[in-house]
Amino acid sequence: MNVPQWETMLREITGISGVRCALIVSADDGLVVAEAAMEGFETTDVAAFTASIISRMQRTAGAMHIAPPNRMHLTAEAGTLLAVAGSDPLWLVAVADPTAEQGRLRLLLGDLAGVLA
Amino acid sequence: MTDSIPVLPSTTQGLAFLDLGERLRQRGQFEAAATVALAGLVRYPALADAHDLLARIRADQGQDAPAIAAWRATLECEAGHVGALKGLAFIAFRSQDFVTAEQYLESAAAQAPHDPTILAALDRVRAAAPVRTTESYRLDDFASGLLLFDAQGMRLTGGIGPGTGEREADATAAEASGLTREADRAARFLGLGAWQQLILESANARVALVPLGSPATLLIRRPATTPPGRLLAASARAAEVSRAWLERGE
Repeated sequence: MNVPQWETMLREITGISGVRCALIVSADDGLVVAEAAMEGFETTDVAAFTASIISRMQRTAGAMHIAPPNRMHLTAEAGTLLAVAGSDPLWLVAVADPTAEQGRLRLLLGDLAGVLA
Repeated sequence: MTDSIPVLPSTTQGLAFLDLGERLRQRGQFEAAATVALAGLVRYPALADAHDLLARIRADQGQDAPAIAAWRATLECEAGHVGALKGLAFIAFRSQDFVTAEQYLESAAAQAPHDPTILAALDRVRAAAPVRTTESYRLDDFASGLLLFDAQGMRLTGGIGPGTGEREADATAAEASGLTREADRAARFLGLGAWQQLILESANARVALVPLGSPATLLIRRPATTPPGRLLAASARAAEVSRAWLERGE
């Protein structure tokens, strides 16, 4: 998959009402690989925090003797952060309002992460 | 010098006692089978299959407590050992503890999702169990998959599911507290407000973390086959139970 195809994919995600940004993150270093975001939204912060949470999730999963996590969903008062693993070390990430259709967003991220390479 | 160090057998000859013990067990010669299994365990105390063999012999003899102990030892040697999980499910089923039996079988199914014997056993357990209107939320049981821990990563009560014990629960509490701090920091810094829930999913488990206010966080672990909505409902109910437990100050 090339960069224009990534951008098309990310725009499909931000096309869901309530999604503030969608990005592809390298979980190894917390850097943005590709992005589609509302004006002024700091995707670098999203990437860094997502990578940090993924690292902590992996350690927790190791302690529990379960398989490495491939999906994360953080729910907060004013929004949600979702991340789905693509091909290592890429993760597909979205930040959405509480009003966004979470089920649809979850499905779309899962479908698209599967072709992320 | 290496002769004095117990190691896992690497040759067919080293594993022969497993076959012999199993044949004796199948013939109903339980005492002879147990003698063979115990002799093998003296030499290979870290061999999960040897503990599993001993457990099956004890179960056939109707000695449930020694069988459970041997299957727990199996899981200590090899976390997720399918035979041990099936065995513990069998003992639970025999004592009509259908909830625990189902939990062990779900764990076994997560390890071996295409094993038809496990899926058939799950069907039998679910058919035999009385209709449940509520899920079990026991905080004093390692097998319940409910874990409470404080902000310092110290376990308050509970465990992380069938086939696990205190060590895994304590390690999980220590790591998960770091995860909750990171979730809290991320949510606030990204303008999402206070975090309310974090779900992580893997190929064999779904885990939810719920902050209960200072000083505790709840972790709930369920099989990967649990629908996301059911996990959310279960975590909400488990959070209520946990808050009540904290208020009682047990």
